[in-house]
Amino acid sequence: MIQETRIVLKNAGKIDPENIDDYLKAGGYEGLRKALSMRPVEVIDELLEAGLRGRGGAGFSTGMKQRFTSESCLRCPQRYVVVNADEGEPGTFKDRVIMEQDPHLYLEGTIIAAWAIQATKGYIYLRGEYTDSIKKTKKAIEDAYERGYLGKNIMGSDFSFDVEIRLGAGSYLCGEELTMLESLEGKRGTPRIKPPFPAEKGLFSMPTLVNNVETLANAPLILSKGKAWYQGIGTKRSHGTKIFTISGQVNKPGHYELPMGVTLEDLIGLAGGMRGGRPFKAALLGGAAGTFVDSSMLKERMTYDNLKEKGATLGSGAVIIMAAEDSVEQILHNCLRFFRHESCGKCVPCRTGTTILVKRSEQLLSGHSDRKTLVQQMLRESEMMAATSLCPLGQSPILPLKSAARYFLEH
Amino acid sequence: MSEKIHLTIDHKTIVAKEGANLLQVAEDNGIRIPHLCYHRKLSPTGACRLCIVKIKDQRGMIASCGITVKDGMEVTTSDDELEEARKYLLDYLLAEHNEEYDGAYEDEFRELCRRYGLDKKENRTFPSIWKEMNYPKDESSPVLTYDAAKCIRCFRCIKGCDEVQGKNVLSFTSRGISSYIVGGFDKWGESECDGCGECIQLCPTGAIVEKPHREELRLDEKTTKVQTTCPYCGVGCQLELVVQNGRILRSNGVEGVSPNDGRLCVKGRFGCDYVQHPERLTKPLIKKDGQFVEASWDEALDLVAAKFAEIKEKYGRKALAGYASAKATNEDNYLFMKFVRTVFENNNIDYCTRLCHASTVTAMLRSLGDGAGSNSIEDYAESDCILVTGNNMIETHPVTATYVKYAAQRKGGKIIIIDPKWTPLVDHAHIWLQPKLGTDVALLNGMIHVIIKENRIDRDFIEKRVEGGMESFEALKELTEKYTPEKTEEITGVKASLIAEAARIYAGARQPLIATGMGFSQQVTGTHNVFSLINMMLITGQIGRKGAGLNPPRGQNNVQGVSDVGASPFTYPGYIPVDDKENRRKVAEIWGIPFEKLDGEKGLSTVEIMQAAYEGQVKGMYVMGENPMLTDPNLNHTLEAVKKLDFLVVQDIFHTETTPYADVILPATAFAEKEGTFVNSDRRVLRVRKAVAPPGEARQDWHIVAEIARRMGTPIGDYPNEAAIWDEIAQTAPIFGGISYDRLEKQGIQWPCPEKSHPGTTTLFTEKFNTKNGLAKLHPVDYAEQSEKADNQYPFILNTGRILYQYHSSTMSRRNKALTDFANEAYLLIHPDDVQKLGLSEEQKVHITSRRGTISSVIRSSREVLPGELFMPFHYAEAPVNKLTSDELDPFSKIAPFKLSAVKIEPAH
Repeated sequence: MIQETRIVLKNAGKIDPENIDDYLKAGGYEGLRKALSMRPVEVIDELLEAGLRGRGGAGFSTGMKQRFTSESCLRCPQRYVVVNADEGEPGTFKDRVIMEQDPHLYLEGTIIAAWAIQATKGYIYLRGEYTDSIKKTKKAIEDAYERGYLGKNIMGSDFSFDVEIRLGAGSYLCGEELTMLESLEGKRGTPRIKPPFPAEKGLFSMPTLVNNVETLANAPLILSKGKAWYQGIGTKRSHGTKIFTISGQVNKPGHYELPMGVTLEDLIGLAGGMRGGRPFKAALLGGAAGTFVDSSMLKERMTYDNLKEKGATLGSGAVIIMAAEDSVEQILHNCLRFFRHESCGKCVPCRTGTTILVKRSEQLLSGHSDRKTLVQQMLRESEMMAATSLCPLGQSPILPLKSAARYFLEH
Repeated sequence: MSEKIHLTIDHKTIVAKEGANLLQVAEDNGIRIPHLCYHRKLSPTGACRLCIVKIKDQRGMIASCGITVKDGMEVTTSDDELEEARKYLLDYLLAEHNEEYDGAYEDEFRELCRRYGLDKKENRTFPSIWKEMNYPKDESSPVLTYDAAKCIRCFRCIKGCDEVQGKNVLSFTSRGISSYIVGGFDKWGESECDGCGECIQLCPTGAIVEKPHREELRLDEKTTKVQTTCPYCGVGCQLELVVQNGRILRSNGVEGVSPNDGRLCVKGRFGCDYVQHPERLTKPLIKKDGQFVEASWDEALDLVAAKFAEIKEKYGRKALAGYASAKATNEDNYLFMKFVRTVFENNNIDYCTRLCHASTVTAMLRSLGDGAGSNSIEDYAESDCILVTGNNMIETHPVTATYVKYAAQRKGGKIIIIDPKWTPLVDHAHIWLQPKLGTDVALLNGMIHVIIKENRIDRDFIEKRVEGGMESFEALKELTEKYTPEKTEEITGVKASLIAEAARIYAGARQPLIATGMGFSQQVTGTHNVFSLINMMLITGQIGRKGAGLNPPRGQNNVQGVSDVGASPFTYPGYIPVDDKENRRKVAEIWGIPFEKLDGEKGLSTVEIMQAAYEGQVKGMYVMGENPMLTDPNLNHTLEAVKKLDFLVVQDIFHTETTPYADVILPATAFAEKEGTFVNSDRRVLRVRKAVAPPGEARQDWHIVAEIARRMGTPIGDYPNEAAIWDEIAQTAPIFGGISYDRLEKQGIQWPCPEKSHPGTTTLFTEKFNTKNGLAKLHPVDYAEQSEKADNQYPFILNTGRILYQYHSSTMSRRNKALTDFANEAYLLIHPDDVQKLGLSEEQKVHITSRRGTISSVIRSSREVLPGELFMPFHYAEAPVNKLTSDELDPFSKIAPFKLSAVKIEPAH
């Protein structure tokens, strides 16, 4: 039986999240101290070489993203760090755990990122429903200002950085980085045309780094303990840990931090096994914008690359477990309804496509006579949506649909 | 960004500007990529996805509207996969779309569906779902209907309202498939929508459609489209009139043509119905025993000719006078001017400019040598500082204002407003200086003081381009010495720090433009106001290059042109003084008359003509398309004068407040019934074209004028058409020398344009000023207190002006239901403190009395005016505010002080 490897969650449940002294006693702000003793470019190199990848779901190299942002538009008078704390992927609550139980950790990571790209202003775009995360983050910011970790001349250096919280208002799509920037600018939450990427032209048209909470929470640890330490965790190609949030038919649903490369079987074991000993049927990995897998995937290592090779996704680390009695069609239907509900309506294929997919899914649930043709039709439509939609939302339905079809619907 | 790059689109090699948009480049090169949400005037949206293309070495299908062209790019716009995807997308749109079509609008979406065979239901994949969505319909606006079931959510209306018109009234509500457009917070009719209809023009489907004539217009039946020039303010917007069965059923903005590039305001789009109003004059009318009776043209014209001849015979040639018309064409006015000079044989010809920008023009002529705007309307969009003095341009020059707002909203330009009254542009302004009425000279001198004190002058410019150089500057310096910011604050009530800040911004700007309006000009000190403005401009060197200068937006469609073609008591065509013998000799030759026939003495101006009528010196008057009984100052006095005339001819398209006093009324044609030209505010000669036939026996103005001349035995020429008249204008006025109708086919030309090969002039004074020595002249002027003052008996100062929905004496505007639905009632604006002091209540009716007369109106409590000051629109005949105004004239320009009358208010019982 494997055990958790808590590095990001090392303080979670052990310290008072509203007491900065507790955090400092646990080695807090040492990563920042280290970072400020380095040149910004060295900080970026350290993160790059450590192999830290975006924990929001896309798995893009954090160091590369920071490099692009720091090197773009050198004439621009301002650059920004935006923390994506608008956690909204169904089944995902990893950032919430960090924000509620150790808010200084990701705040420290934010300040390090700001130093790395030489930003003087940051925004934490925080999911509005996360009242406790908001409260803890606010307190952490106040205390960080008081102790000189934020504001002018941070830790006696020449570096100054301010950060503010902005609350999301319930839109899933505002968790998409370009839509988030629109929302931060006070506009309606609809996606922008990409390119330009945020690194070139982000918030208020300035170079902007958008990083996920869990990603940023890794940075202080890498800085204080070094890239070699970090590379030692996980697999050869995927370093560090991932916080998985497992729900559904398991005995102990919740969050578990594990090294990259853990298997689904081990994760279920850690979560107390299948509820009431029910037989495993399927897992939905990565939330609504994720993929269904069947028992053939139980022993596969869960890393970004390995899952991708097998046609699955790691995504945000959400794992929803289904037992024999559960209907994959029903869960798929929930996913499709979710997309219809969250589609902003800006681009045609997503706006109408998500609505029509739900209609087709209803037919599927009510026992359509030509099931195979119907499934083929849905796949074709979702492919067309993926090929033509403006933002990732319209490109997502194909993920659960195609995987469900592959393992379940076509049999 | 002007680097040229090469790319291929569908194997065709194309040269494009670096940084250009791929979809636009394709479009410009005749390659049609299907699209619905993209529009040349708007930022790319990426919503419809139809413009997908493939680009070599890039993955998948990419929306071309979001792509910047790169050198070496290889683009494919069409293959099986792309076409299939497009079909899918259109099919998706059809699923949420109500396809009923009534033929009253152009439908780009419908056309595309047809192209892809989707008009046939069997070719579609998706079920129709629009009925389940319960999409709403908003019919609350007076001018348009929004139908969400016909909306494809392309954002063009929203972006047009925001990015083009700078109004930002529209947005989406709800989300996903349920989303639709709202005006304001919910209903169009309750929002700040002012009815400009940019959204209608940009809507690619039938979601937003004009209300007027919707039942009547059928675009699938025979329609003609005629490009012409708007008959309202002096922006000169290019209209496309849509005509069916001899009636004007639509008015669209013409895209891609200056000055409006498709933009219109509510008047241009919804104000053309007056042309076909049943109250149009259709037959000549002769007053017999106090009653007007219909007469034949022969009878009426013979009578007019005989009477004019009789008066001339009896009282001499100075006893006749004429009012030309800013609403008629250059050709009409030119012949009218020729008529007065050669048939009346005097120079008693003037028109409403005397009541409008006469002081501005006078000051500009004396200081700069030209009285017209020095720059182009589009220049505002690039300006970093726009100084707006006494000019409510959002309401009076709405399309010019879109460029001004664009500069402020999108280019970081700073708007500085000098106005005693709030105007909507204040919401976009960086600084609003609110001086007490009549203190403008002091305010400007205060700004000049700061500029000199802080050495923000342009010494080089003064030395090279100002008469007397630094020596004449010294005189200005000495005069403005006493106008310290603090002293200026004392006089004007404007905070000293704001005065200084405004001065600094203006002096330091790269491309500052001044837009000056009636608030500055319509004062006894009008000419001095503009002198001080010009002084500030000259010492800072802020004129004589692209995007820097002084521009008086003109209030009426052809107020510029009428002066240009010489309908003035002081100048001949092309601004050549009446007393210039050489020119008179040249003109006499062109006209084929003896030189001696042309009076070398200046004539009487607008108000002077009335005063002379009152004194019994002018006995006969010919009024072409003017309404002095509503628009002249001190109306009670004007009425006395008009009553004293022996003979009055009014030529118009409607009965007006003036026609009851006429002896003969002659029915003329409206703008849409004639060929000709107008000149707009930036000196652009623009074509006017005939779209419909005149009603009844109405005749074109110049025909009538020529006919009267002929019947008086002094013919003024045989012209086969308007083009021939224009050619004569071009001969007499050197500024038009190179312009002919064939050059105006597509768009206007800005004068001066002395030769056929000359492209016209976008910016004046780049090399030299138009004065004799080529140098500009400073005119230091001191602030003088107004003779019209508030006192115990008349404790308030009344200001007058215009509103968006009405025009001049409202003869035209009030005969359009769309416009009167928006605004049709006179009111008096009064500060809430004064309302309280007088114990009045909102909408209460009051009598307003000046030393010259009394009128009644309801009050509206508003902080748009300062305490002690009032404002009234002058459009409404039932509350003729000019009964209150004074005819004390500015000694230099003869303009009347419409902006300043001492009045008292009493409740009406």
